[in-house]
Amino acid sequence: MTRCREFMAAVAAAMLMTGAAAAAEDTKVALVPGGPHPYFAAWEKAGQDAARDFKLGAADYKVPQKWELSQQNELLESLVTQGYNAFLIFPGDPVGSVSTAGELADTGAPVIATAGCLKDPSKAAFCLGTDVGNSAYIGTKELLKAMGGKKRIAHFTGFLVDPNTQLRIDAVEKAAKEEGAQVVQVIADIDAPEPAEEKINAYLAAHAGEVDGIVTTAWVPAVVSANALRKIGDKRIKMVGIDHDEVVLKAIKDGFVTGTMLQNPYGQGYIGSFAADRLRSGCTVKADAPFKTNALTAKFIDSGTVFVDASQVDTYVGAMQGITKELMATFEKTYLTCK
Amino acid sequence: MTVPAAAPAGLLSSGAPRFYLTNEFGLIVLIALFAAAFGLLTAGFLSSFNLFTLGRVAAVNVMIGFAMMAVIVTGGLNLAVGAIGVCAAMACGWLIEALGLPWPVAIVGALALGAALGAVNGVVIVRSGLHSFIITLATMSIFFGVMIFLTRAQSFRALPPLFSDFGRMRLFGSVSPLLVVAVVVGLGLIVMYRYTALGREMLAAGARPQAAALSGVRVDRIFVICHMLSGALAALTALLVVARNGAAIPSMAGQLGQDWLLPAFLGPVLGGTLLTGGRVSVLGTFLGAVLVTMLTNGLLLLRVGEFWVQTCLGVLLLIAVLIDKARRSFLAHRRMV
Repeated sequence: MTRCREFMAAVAAAMLMTGAAAAAEDTKVALVPGGPHPYFAAWEKAGQDAARDFKLGAADYKVPQKWELSQQNELLESLVTQGYNAFLIFPGDPVGSVSTAGELADTGAPVIATAGCLKDPSKAAFCLGTDVGNSAYIGTKELLKAMGGKKRIAHFTGFLVDPNTQLRIDAVEKAAKEEGAQVVQVIADIDAPEPAEEKINAYLAAHAGEVDGIVTTAWVPAVVSANALRKIGDKRIKMVGIDHDEVVLKAIKDGFVTGTMLQNPYGQGYIGSFAADRLRSGCTVKADAPFKTNALTAKFIDSGTVFVDASQVDTYVGAMQGITKELMATFEKTYLTCK
Repeated sequence: MTVPAAAPAGLLSSGAPRFYLTNEFGLIVLIALFAAAFGLLTAGFLSSFNLFTLGRVAAVNVMIGFAMMAVIVTGGLNLAVGAIGVCAAMACGWLIEALGLPWPVAIVGALALGAALGAVNGVVIVRSGLHSFIITLATMSIFFGVMIFLTRAQSFRALPPLFSDFGRMRLFGSVSPLLVVAVVVGLGLIVMYRYTALGREMLAAGARPQAAALSGVRVDRIFVICHMLSGALAALTALLVVARNGAAIPSMAGQLGQDWLLPAFLGPVLGGTLLTGGRVSVLGTFLGAVLVTMLTNGLLLLRVGEFWVQTCLGVLLLIAVLIDKARRSFLAHRRMV
């Protein structure tokens, strides 16, 4: 947690140095994830810092009680009634949340799909998040490099109802195929502690000898796998995880995990809050902005992803800070038209 | 509108307790009290936007409650209510997008699939003699798993605009047409349980199967029909959610359709439907679902921390039930019941 705070403080300081235009104090931004999940914890600090730095009325982190589309919809509707007028949303469903985003936008509130995209067409201004396919692809390549010629990998990932999961599965498969490796097992639907513990431990108990590497593309499977490899104590199986849970970072330091694919939740919340306020203040999204395209949208902004191994685990904050600072410094000029 | 098992028609009008002494009246009082409290304590609770969204959410919860209630009547459960709903919604999307069928045909097809999956539950329960809890727990996974396999978790969103138009439509500024559908279905169920032979046979079979069988009721057949009705109602509920979301999506009821289980039980149980079967309260289920939806909405507007909403909801529901019990005890003590 100390490392996280340092990271956030460093990024916030970097943001201030880059400067930001004046903002409307009546802007009330709601940062709403799909449900409780450790990935989004950084959004709370990001919102607080954004509110302070950009003089917003509020930038509050609001979590649905459960990871349910209907609960997120109810929360969003109640936030409109409470006076929130800008929204950063991780869509509970890329398609199912389009209608809700449309209703929010119809109230005049800018909506930015954050950390996950809405499927086009939608009324979201754009999507600011991780290129999940690219992250899974790079992670798998790094894993295969660390495996030193061995070719059998297992892939542990998130919920099947999340279309991002299929993108991750496809990306891992593609990277493995390019290297002549084989994905011997994909275990999905396990981005929650109970199913992850049950399925990963059972799989490794029965088939640890049949795999040479593990790639995980969801937070909880990464934590559970890192713990499982530490318990087994055999460093033969290489692993590349995702995100920055302390368990995974410690396992990297101790040599049980090769590395992790970092995402940028703080930067998403901070830059997203800034952008939402600018959109409320009269800026518009540039028609010719250099958006990337992914499987869901043609208005995608990559918030950054980097591979971190043991040599960088103590300095990864700087790497992510650099990406965030660079994105923030040019964001308005690159993506918005402001009078 | 509580309908006891196989009660003679005369008793329903002359022997039943007066309405203000009933469970349903207690719920109406609680709804009025909480509405007044939220209206005074929060800004915007009575705004047309909030009333519209409140009604829309309540409509879905009411319909989910009806789908479960149709099986609770038999003394059983339908844990697959969410999975059936999602399967039906995805089938509707597939019929429209992949086969190019007109939307009315697709809706009929989705309702038919819901009823068919319900029939599967009913037939297996009746033939195996196992409790519906076990069977529907298994079919919940089977139905959902097959749906995910067939659709590859992809959504159907190229639906006719009238679906999303219906979901967004506001009648008189603040009434969702989804709520109108729930009211109409509720009235239909009241008529069925109160005035039709089929409804009375359902209640009789649920109350005392052996006695009903001796009276000439084909209990097994009735149980299968109850599950078909539950499946069809789950399908209709899912179509309302499709209208609300503007798309048929695999995650609309959560993993395995489990998101629907809590509202499925809350409405009927709060409303006075007996879990042992044989007694149903359509109005109570409606009011119970509305109360729970309103409490959730009000607590969110009160800015109770999101993680405390569930706790506060539980506490308020407990208080609500205890107040109602105290009311009934008071009336019983005064020999008014």
